[in-house]
This record gives sequence, structure tokens and C-alpha cells, in this order.
Amino acid sequence: MSELIRDIDRPEEISVVGMELRESVSATEITSNMVLEVFEAWAAALGESETVDIPGVQFLRMWLRRGTLEPIIARELGRRALDGTWMEDGRARLKAFPLGVVGHWPAGNIEIQPVLSMTCALLGGNACLVRVPSRLDDLTRRLIGKLDQSDGKGVLTGRVRMLVFDHARRDLQEAMARAVDGAMVWGGAEAVLQVRSLPFPHWARLAVFGPRISVAAMDADSWCNMQERESWCRRIARDVWQFDQQSCSSPQVLFLEKKAGHSCDEFVQTLKTAFESENHFHPRRTIHAGLTTAICQARASWLLDDVAHRAIFPPGPDWTLLLGSGAEIPKPTQGKTLTVLEVDDLLHPLEKLDGNVQTLGMAIADAEREAKLASVAARRGVDRIVKLGRMHVFAPPWDGVDLIRPMVRVVRHVPSIG
Amino acid sequence: MDELGQRIDQLLAIPPYSQPPEERQSALLELLKDELEYACRRNSGFRNYVQHWPSDTRSARRVADLPYLPVGLLKGQPPLSLVEPREIKRTLTSSSTTGQMPSRIALDSSTARRMTRGVVAIAQDFIGPARRPYLVVDVPGSVGGGPELGARGAAIQGLQPFASEVTYCLRPDKDGDLTLDRDKLLQFAEARRKSLVLVYGFTYILWKYLVKPLRAANICLGMADLHILHSGGWKLLQDEAVDKKTFNEELAHVFGCSAERVIDFYGMVENVGVIYPDCAEGNKHVPVFGDFIVRDPLTLRPVPEGEQGIVQVCSALPTSFPGHLLLTEDLAEIVTYDGCRCGRRGTCFRFMGRVAKAEVRGCGNIDRDRQQPN
Repeated sequence: MSELIRDIDRPEEISVVGMELRESVSATEITSNMVLEVFEAWAAALGESETVDIPGVQFLRMWLRRGTLEPIIARELGRRALDGTWMEDGRARLKAFPLGVVGHWPAGNIEIQPVLSMTCALLGGNACLVRVPSRLDDLTRRLIGKLDQSDGKGVLTGRVRMLVFDHARRDLQEAMARAVDGAMVWGGAEAVLQVRSLPFPHWARLAVFGPRISVAAMDADSWCNMQERESWCRRIARDVWQFDQQSCSSPQVLFLEKKAGHSCDEFVQTLKTAFESENHFHPRRTIHAGLTTAICQARASWLLDDVAHRAIFPPGPDWTLLLGSGAEIPKPTQGKTLTVLEVDDLLHPLEKLDGNVQTLGMAIADAEREAKLASVAARRGVDRIVKLGRMHVFAPPWDGVDLIRPMVRVVRHVPSIG
Repeated sequence: MDELGQRIDQLLAIPPYSQPPEERQSALLELLKDELEYACRRNSGFRNYVQHWPSDTRSARRVADLPYLPVGLLKGQPPLSLVEPREIKRTLTSSSTTGQMPSRIALDSSTARRMTRGVVAIAQDFIGPARRPYLVVDVPGSVGGGPELGARGAAIQGLQPFASEVTYCLRPDKDGDLTLDRDKLLQFAEARRKSLVLVYGFTYILWKYLVKPLRAANICLGMADLHILHSGGWKLLQDEAVDKKTFNEELAHVFGCSAERVIDFYGMVENVGVIYPDCAEGNKHVPVFGDFIVRDPLTLRPVPEGEQGIVQVCSALPTSFPGHLLLTEDLAEIVTYDGCRCGRRGTCFRFMGRVAKAEVRGCGNIDRDRQQPN
């Protein structure tokens, strides 16, 4: 365990770890099936008391299951990748090989992201160097401890090293960049720009995820449908609650299409009930004081700015619904602050989207109309269009990019004989 | 409004730290409710905010249950106001870090008058009522005569009712920086050595432009009978690794007085008429015409004694802007809700610093300038 995750203070330590990992990737080959076998055991172990309550662990356990990952591997690398055999391609044969050592720079706001990012590269057979944000140190130790416990043969643990160091240590960041052949970078604008500026080898491939925001949209037939209203509201609450609305896939605004003779008020009341219920079952344990003041500021400025604006919120900073109309995406506050905007036609906000929007969560009663709206959103930079309630389902492509394939090389072998 | 004004004046007439908590709460609560109603009648946006507050304002049983406004809302231009533009006599501006908008506080003549009365009532409790020579460790221009007045100017001006004469001992140098007018200071010290004197300066200005040069020249002013008030925060001094004890001792040394004569006070222009000087126990006290609530960031409920949280300041004094109940971006710890050993009644607290800047975080942290497509 102490080998898997450690505090780092000197750049030389990172160089040594990097060389050891590269050696292990070159010396032995692991198939996707071997990885999946360990992942299954790890998923089971994560259900134990030390880890089961870590935010996102239930999702991680689902992600690690063979039933989830096999179709992804098959789609991205081909069926043969599961058992590590070559695919025929005319006279040639093709097979995915790891890039080598993949560095991971996860965002500090999502508890499971260091290990989630790592799993993508492991599925490609890579070794992983993971920088663990300081605030996730303890949680990551617990998560990776379960991997250690589940991987008796050391199939994966020999390929994983997690490094804890302060993000301001430029010398350590640079040493890590020099030690890798590829990188998966997640997070906010500042963090991503900082990592991109590091001295990676010229051959290193970078997959960058974020920073972006997400929006939700419902047509009138969906939100007016009394039978499904509660279910939709529960789904929206679930999407808002995960990751305290700080993820790129978190909805910051919900556009509701107006319908003559129908008021959104009843829907908003149901949404309020769903938020209260979600908060009851998943209350915050801690909050940054700066987020609390930002939430209070968002509530007040919304209501002061325009007397037509309305809002619903409890006395605490637990959640906030800001209600109004218009097709512009307002400034995101995060912290479970959802702006609900009425629009005459969903096309209006969708036509204003740009590359900043990653995911569009939708509830559209008419499939044909949904297809048209999806095309509009996709043309304007949206990479994921999903049903409300599934905005965080971590299925590739993510940000329009596969999760495993960017960190493998597909080797083409044309036999010299024959 | 006249009736409201009279009730505020009655509160100002009470010695600021004389009432036990229950007594002061009941008087303050009803007054603040009426002031909120008044503010709602005068400002439709503010009314919209109060109407959406999750509990009924009229049935509130504690000041802590009334709707509070985040202080950031006072950064607008034009300033958030409850009076006609022609009634605004002066606009106070807060000190703000580079790139940040300052708060802008609209004062009509009634609010300005009460602001002065509030500060005087509080300061008097610490330094006595006498008028005395007033030494300002700043440049004369910091109290401009224009329509706007900054935080430094407001603090200097707030203590002027204690002045029999005013002397400024800094001047601008050729680069526009401040510098000590040593001759003027020494002349002042020589002439007032036997008098009771009041000194005021921003904390960092006192340190950089008075203590450091006088210590370097090994000068002691020999003024034992004075009070030195200072405000403005400790961040720059912390950057120089100067703690409060060192600051007090060094400052006392250059004046030749005891360190007990140095009084740090916390204040913000938005909390008009209220300053929070340190008592002999090192605590800050709340006057009867205000309240001070420290809220748990997780629940926004008031914290118990001994715990820290986000500061909400309250003042019954303003009627020109809705600054009665303001959630600040500062952190404090409640020492006790009553019973400080200094003898002052009511809440006392210690200032703990600023709330770290609230940033949109994580992979949902996009460049805000790019959010609004054309």
C-alpha cells in the first residue's frame, strides 16, 4: 500500500518511479480480460464500510463491472482486445498496445476522479502516475487500498503509483510531465492551462477533459405530463446533486418550453419537493465558506436585478431554484443552484450554445423533435446529449473523445512471410 | 420615517454596551422589522428579495431570522439606495483589492448624522468624551471634500468629533507615495507632550510610514497620554511576519506610551456607524444599535460560543440604503454572547480573516467571459 500512494518531495523520486513503471509495462503484457477480473474484485471490495460512503463510489462500482466495460472496450479497441489477440486487417494484423506511462491530473472537486481517470488508462494496458490533489489524499488512499486488497497477483498494483504533492510545486509537476508518454487532464481552466504548459515529451499524447458546463432542457409535453412529472424532477435533482454541481456534466440551467394554458409553477413546486427529498437523503457534510457566500449572493442578486424574477430556497445554502425567463445561460454559481428559465421555443437557447456546453440533458416527448434539437445542439459544440437523470453517466465518448483509445497505440503488423 | 428616525435616535441615546442580550434583542428586532418594511416600500428589487425569503419576516423572533443581504450587492453602480439621488449627500466607498469593485454606500444627511453619532458613542466608551489634539497618520487629501469618501477618509472623519485640532503627519513624496513629515510630527509631539492626544491611522500605514522610519532613527516621541486607534486589517503586516503583539509594542515604543493605549478596531463602511474596537480582553463588542451574527457556512445558522463562521453585521442606523443586515465576506469567532470580563454587555467576538475568494470550481469552472454567446 505504501508503494501505491506516497507523498513526494523531490523531482528525482518521480523520475525513479516513472522508470520503474515504464519497465513494468515493457516487460509484461496484460489483456483487458485480466484488468476486468481485478476490477470486478475491486468493485466488490469498494462496497465495504471504509469506502462505501465516499461520494461517487456507487458510480465507480458500477463503472468497474465487466458488464459496463466490455462493450466500451469492444467499441473502442475491438472485440479481440479483450483477450489480447491480433485483429485481421487484410494481409496485415492490428492490435492495441499501451502508450506506456500515462500521467493523470484529476480535478480536485470529484472524489473518485483520480482512480476513475486511472482505470481508463489501465484498460489500455498502461501504467499510471496519478497526481492526487491534497484534499483527496485520504479518500484516495482508502479507494486505492481496496485495489491493493483485491489484486493479490499484483496485475495492476505493479502499474500504479499515486503521488501526493502540492499543486504549486512546479518542479514536481514538471518531473511528472517528463516521466509520461500520455496524459489525461481534468479540471478547471486554470488547472488545465497549467498542466498543458508542462514539459511533456514531444511524443506524449494529451487528452484534456473540461472545463465546461452543462444545461438541461424540457419540452412542455414532458413537464406538463402529470404521470411523469415527479420522476423527471427526481432525475433533475439527481443530476444537480452529484458532485455538488461542480462537474462539467452538472446542469446549471434548466430551460422549460412554455405551453399556452399551462403554468410552470406546479412543475417548479414538484421540483422543489424533489430537491428537498434529495437533500434529505444526500445532505452536504461540509462546504467551503466561499461557496456559501456565493450562493447567498446569487440568490440576492437574482431577485434584486429584476422584480419579475422569483426564487425558492431554504434558510441554509443546501439548494436554490432561481426562476425567470430568457434564453441566455446565466453565470453558474454551482453548489446546487439551478436556474430555471422559461422559453417560448427550446430552439432559442439551443441556437445560442457554444463550445462551452458539454452535456445537454433532455426530456422531449416527441422523438423526431428530439433528434432535430440534438442535431442543433451538436452543431453548436455540445458533445453529449442524454436523458435527464443520466447527465453524469461516465460513458465514452466523453467530451467527444473516447476514454481508452487515446491512450493506446494501434500497432499494424504486416507479416514478412506470406 | 420621522417615527423611525426617533426610534433610532432613542437607541443611540442608550450607552452602547449597557444592555443585557435579551433587552437589546427585543428593542432591536422590532426596529429592524420596521426598517425592513420601510426599505421594501422604497426599493422594489429589495422588496422582491425580502418577499422570497424562506420565512415570514414579521413573525421573526430573533434578529438572526431576518433577511440579510450579501455585502457584494452593495457594489453596484448606481449604489443600492432607498432615497432619491438628490437626497444623497455623500457616497462612501470601501477599500477593494485590485480589479474588484468597491462597495458604494449612499448616505443622506440623516444617515450621515447617525453614522457620526454611532462612532462617537462607541469610541467614547473606549477613550472618553474629551476633545483633544488629533494626530492623523495620513495625508490631508484622504478626507476629500467631494461627493465620494473612501474607507480611510471615513475612519479619519469618524473620529473628528473628538478633535480640538487636527494634524496630518504624512505627505506625498515626488513619486506619489506617502512619506513621513518628520519635522511636523516632532513639532506636534513637542507641543502636545503633556496633553491628552488621539492618534489614528490605517494599520499598515502606521507600521510602514511611522513605526519603521522612527524605529530606524531611534526616535521616541515621548507622548504618554494618548490613545492610538487603528484599523484596516492585518494582511500586509502578516506578509511581513508582524504579529499584533509586536505591532502594539513597537507602536507604543515610538510614542513612548504603554501598549494598552493601542486600540485595533474592525469596521467596514457598509456597516455604517458601527466600529468594533478591541477591549482590554482582546475582544470586540457589539453596540446596542447593532448586532453581530456569526453563521455556520454549512447551515447559515448562528454558531454557538467558541465557534467560527461567516460574519453578518447589523445596524439600525441606516435609512438611506438597505444596509441593516449584511452578510459579509469575513470570518469571526464568537467568544461569548454575554459576560466579557471587561464588563461590556452583549456579544463579543474575534475577527478571524477573510472568506477565501469564492470561485467556480472543478471541471465546471469555465471562463465566465465566454459564457454569453453573441
